[in-house]
Amino acid sequence: MMRAVSTEQDGTNQVAKMSVSIGKLTCAALALGLLAIGIAQAGSREQAKRMHDRIAGVPPSAAVLDQMAAEIAAGRPLAAANIAMQSSAFYNVTLKNFVAPWTNREQSVFVPLNDYTATVIGMVRDDEPFDTVLSADILYTAPGASGVAAYSPSNNDHYDQLEQTGADLKTVLVKQTQSGLNGIPAAATAGVMTSRAAAQAFFIAGTNRAMFRFTLMNHLCRDMEQMLDTSRPPDRIRQDVSRSPGGDSRIFLNNCIGCHSGMDPLAQSFAYYQYDETLARLVYTAGQVQPKYFNNSDNFKPGYVTPDDHWDNYWRKGPNQVVGWDIQLPGSGNGAKTMGQELARSDAFAACQVEKVFKTVCFRAPADATDRARVQVIKSDFKAGGYKLKQVFAETAAYCMGD
Amino acid sequence: MSRAMNLLRPLVLLAALSLAACGGGAETKENPIINQAPVPDYTGPAASTPDIQAFKINLWENLKASNRCGGCHNATGQSPRFARNDDVNLAYQDALALVNLTQPDMSRLVAKVSGGHNCWLSANSACGDTMTVWIRNWAGAVATGGKTIQLVAPPDRSVGSSKTFPTDSALYASTIHPLVRQFCSRCHASNAGTPVSPYFADANVDAAYAAARSKINLDNTSLSRLEVRLRDEFHNCWGDCATSAATMLQRIDAFANGVPLTQVDPSLVVSKALTLYEGTVAAGGNRYESNVIALWEFKTGMGTTAFDTSGQEPAINLTFSGDVSWVGGWGMKVGAGGKAQGTSSASKKLADRIKATGEYSIEAWVAPANVVQEDAWIVSYSGGPTARNATLGQRAYQYQMQTRSNKTDANGAPFTLTKDTDRDAQASLQHVVLTYDPVNGQRLYVNGVATGDVDRAGGGNLSDWDDSFALVLGNETSGTRPWTGVLKLVAIHSRALTAAQVRQNFDAGVGERYFMLFNVTQLTNVPQSYIMFEASQYDSYSYMFAKPTFISLDPAARPGSLPLKGMRIGINGVEARVGQAYVPMDVMINDSNYAPSTGQPLGGIGTVVALEKGPSNDQFFLTFERIAANSHTVTEPPLAPPAAPVDLPPQSQVGLRQFEEINASMAAMTTVPTTQTEVKSTYDLVKQALPQNESVEGFLSAQQVGIAQLAIEYCNALVENSTLRGAYFPGVDFSGSASALFGTAGARDQVFNPLLDRMLGVAVGTQPDRAAVRGELDSLAAKLSSCGGSCAADRSKTIAKASCGAVLGSAVTLLQ
Repeated sequence: MMRAVSTEQDGTNQVAKMSVSIGKLTCAALALGLLAIGIAQAGSREQAKRMHDRIAGVPPSAAVLDQMAAEIAAGRPLAAANIAMQSSAFYNVTLKNFVAPWTNREQSVFVPLNDYTATVIGMVRDDEPFDTVLSADILYTAPGASGVAAYSPSNNDHYDQLEQTGADLKTVLVKQTQSGLNGIPAAATAGVMTSRAAAQAFFIAGTNRAMFRFTLMNHLCRDMEQMLDTSRPPDRIRQDVSRSPGGDSRIFLNNCIGCHSGMDPLAQSFAYYQYDETLARLVYTAGQVQPKYFNNSDNFKPGYVTPDDHWDNYWRKGPNQVVGWDIQLPGSGNGAKTMGQELARSDAFAACQVEKVFKTVCFRAPADATDRARVQVIKSDFKAGGYKLKQVFAETAAYCMGD
Repeated sequence: MSRAMNLLRPLVLLAALSLAACGGGAETKENPIINQAPVPDYTGPAASTPDIQAFKINLWENLKASNRCGGCHNATGQSPRFARNDDVNLAYQDALALVNLTQPDMSRLVAKVSGGHNCWLSANSACGDTMTVWIRNWAGAVATGGKTIQLVAPPDRSVGSSKTFPTDSALYASTIHPLVRQFCSRCHASNAGTPVSPYFADANVDAAYAAARSKINLDNTSLSRLEVRLRDEFHNCWGDCATSAATMLQRIDAFANGVPLTQVDPSLVVSKALTLYEGTVAAGGNRYESNVIALWEFKTGMGTTAFDTSGQEPAINLTFSGDVSWVGGWGMKVGAGGKAQGTSSASKKLADRIKATGEYSIEAWVAPANVVQEDAWIVSYSGGPTARNATLGQRAYQYQMQTRSNKTDANGAPFTLTKDTDRDAQASLQHVVLTYDPVNGQRLYVNGVATGDVDRAGGGNLSDWDDSFALVLGNETSGTRPWTGVLKLVAIHSRALTAAQVRQNFDAGVGERYFMLFNVTQLTNVPQSYIMFEASQYDSYSYMFAKPTFISLDPAARPGSLPLKGMRIGINGVEARVGQAYVPMDVMINDSNYAPSTGQPLGGIGTVVALEKGPSNDQFFLTFERIAANSHTVTEPPLAPPAAPVDLPPQSQVGLRQFEEINASMAAMTTVPTTQTEVKSTYDLVKQALPQNESVEGFLSAQQVGIAQLAIEYCNALVENSTLRGAYFPGVDFSGSASALFGTAGARDQVFNPLLDRMLGVAVGTQPDRAAVRGELDSLAAKLSSCGGSCAADRSKTIAKASCGAVLGSAVTLLQ
């Protein structure tokens, strides 16, 4: 409307009228749109339109619509989905907004493009096995993008400017290594968990438990309450957790212990990581436990004193077995990389990726037995097919393209 | 004036000398401040040795009064005559047999008064504690030196079947609760006129049941406090006490009979059993108390008085009012609006002693209930919200210090707060010490470490302290500065404790601790072998177990080589469900790691285990997955089958495009890049007003305004850019008049068809009806081109922009 005002020559009445007309038209069209979508029996063109909208976030061109409709009509909806995924908008819009909430504590989509988001986008584009997203020595940058600051581990300018200049993420992103770019040992890299954005959000201050909690939320679709199990041994709960909050140990015995008994021995894997606010970058101190692990050590003196970055997964026993941990893995190790593998090789990780894609593409959670059965199939395909997230998008879009 | 100056001069000199001593030279020792013995009534021979003099000052002076021991144990009275007033040397001879100077709390004198023998206070334990302090003061350095605790073998008792309190209060509600509601609720209920803890007669049966558990002995009902109070202590019977007690016992039996016996799993590998109180008392660490002038340890556990057991007369005994209750394992819980206050006459000793030294320390073991309370006084010596001598308070994550001096006003302002970002106050048990000295003013130590906060007023003198104020815990005397939390010990010293002394008191810990010796002799075949824990009642709801150690009481015994794996703590016949920190334990006990005097430590981890019946009755034992040649395979209980998933209500099959999808879609539909300057700035402006997610239920009219704004901007950019415009509307000359360009349907086709083709798509049945949309556009164009023959030159472009904006800003773009 602002532009309409500036281009209008003969007063505001016309503008007001035009606004009314637009408003009327919008309402009418909105109603018409709902009506049409509600009652129409979807043919291949309608299915193709919806599939493209859902995958790329933008309507297809006439030519693309024709191609996709033809594939659907021929019984090849996955081929149609693959055409939709060739749209740059799939990367610049759908995937970017799919990932952005994972990269900050507020889970906001209104955050600038960053290395976490770009790395996931790159991994999807290149069909990198997505179960390495929490462990690989991987980082995507855009070295060839023009008019953009070079990558730096100490600021987000590179990605910020990529977004501002509207760079086509489908083409500009190039696979690199964190160890090569950031000077962190390859063994200390752990996929997106050791990205700068994740470090800035989750390794900053605190006790590094945030990294664990948010990774669990974003990649296993579980918050701590869902992991509550008070029957695990509490021997690894750090000293900072009060055993008698406010003088009432029932709170600890009924609640705190339920999460901390499992979380603390897993979050020990982050013992050498810190986000340095002065340097504005991730810092890794091999062999040296970060002081934050000894915060408030007098809260419970006989609590656990972290000696190293050795982690154990106590949730392999008890009710959290339902996470479906990979029996091929040992369930313990040192450092974030192996802990990331532990999480990403779980059945819950695969299921979570499918559920997130389902929500993105179908605009709803799996609602009934049919939906749940399909999610199971897509999850199995995802795992058997080498953890390619594009495959999940394609299969889900095919399921939700309408009848 | 000049005389005062003369008196001050040596003090200044002395202070200077003391300061000089800190900087180097030989180690100095501070002289303890000893009460000047008020002995005008003593006319007998002087104490013949320094030890007799110490006895006289510290113990005898406190006992000789006729309303204490001197009433009977005097020169002509009952033997032993340790309180005789005629000759302190003879009194000393008799007293020697009644005290244990190396372990004062084990003295016969303490045992007698603790047992109720002519205790001069309302709580026998308070008499015992006070007597202990007097004897300790006499013993001086002898008792405070490091000493070896003699571990005592507990009774040999196998793990028996036991009854455990049901979690549900229904049984209590149907048996005991009606009786206590009828006869005890006038005091023992939270809403009583004068509420007296415990609230076992509360109207809320769950709260009442929780409070009653520790007063019921399930295994031996006639030992239940609920009955003992009536039967033996004649406490508020409702008629004949024997009958009242019998009625109560009947109800308790009905309750206990309704609780099934928990059988011990015979497959478990178990140690012998014991209760907390059957452990060896771990004499509290050596607290530095040379200058303590008031001390509350909250040991009494009943009634409404917290006794000052500092041994410094007069005792400032605190009276509870409002929501104040006892905490298990020694402590006092202050609820909303509660307080514990002493009289101003007794509190006067604080002003007197502290004005004399010009220094003081307030030491407290506190557990704030939360970290949001502000203006909450923990310990205050004051006369109201605007007048005080000293206050230690809490303000969210900060501690607040106020001391009245010649550098402050009468309210101790300016106040000193600990640094906000340090978050010194935590909702967990903390040792907090506020010290004051004339040089540094107030300093605070939390858990033995100085916070480093500097007194805003600086050091001053305390000579203006008002001796009419009262000492109050958990509030202001006026009741307007309520603090909530738990206090486990409060001490006031007439000196500023040094950092080392603070650390010493922090290291000494708080509360009663026991060495619990779990006999494993029959499992290990090592003579008199035990797994020893340092255990304590942690709060009202749990026990703490720490420092597990393998030890034999036979100094000649050696463990050889003993594997120990998977240790669990059992309570009342079953393994505790929560808190099993020793399950991962997998150690080898062997001769090289074992020392006969200290055993072999099994790790430094501690844990808390829920309290069930109370420390007198909860029977503990240990179980092992493996110890020596004995093993037991633990199997986890089978997983409960997952709950059947619930179908969700029907959800919309369509959704909105969110902000970035709208932007990208508009770019795709208009061919204007998202980076176009005006478009980008408008998008940045309206971005957060656009839909954030796809849910149609979340659509707001405000979002439509943003969409319309962005649509107009895109259409403006399209129509104003000749290249884009030419490609989009081939053959259309927008410099023509509005009537020419939009006058006929055929002319309008040239503008509207490209818009509809690109935005609606072709032959997509789920899109809005093309004819209906076209009808709206025709109508819009007709209105906008009716300028009465005076349309502006760019009216055609305006109509094109409006038409474009109308379609682009509609559900065509918004819905997907």
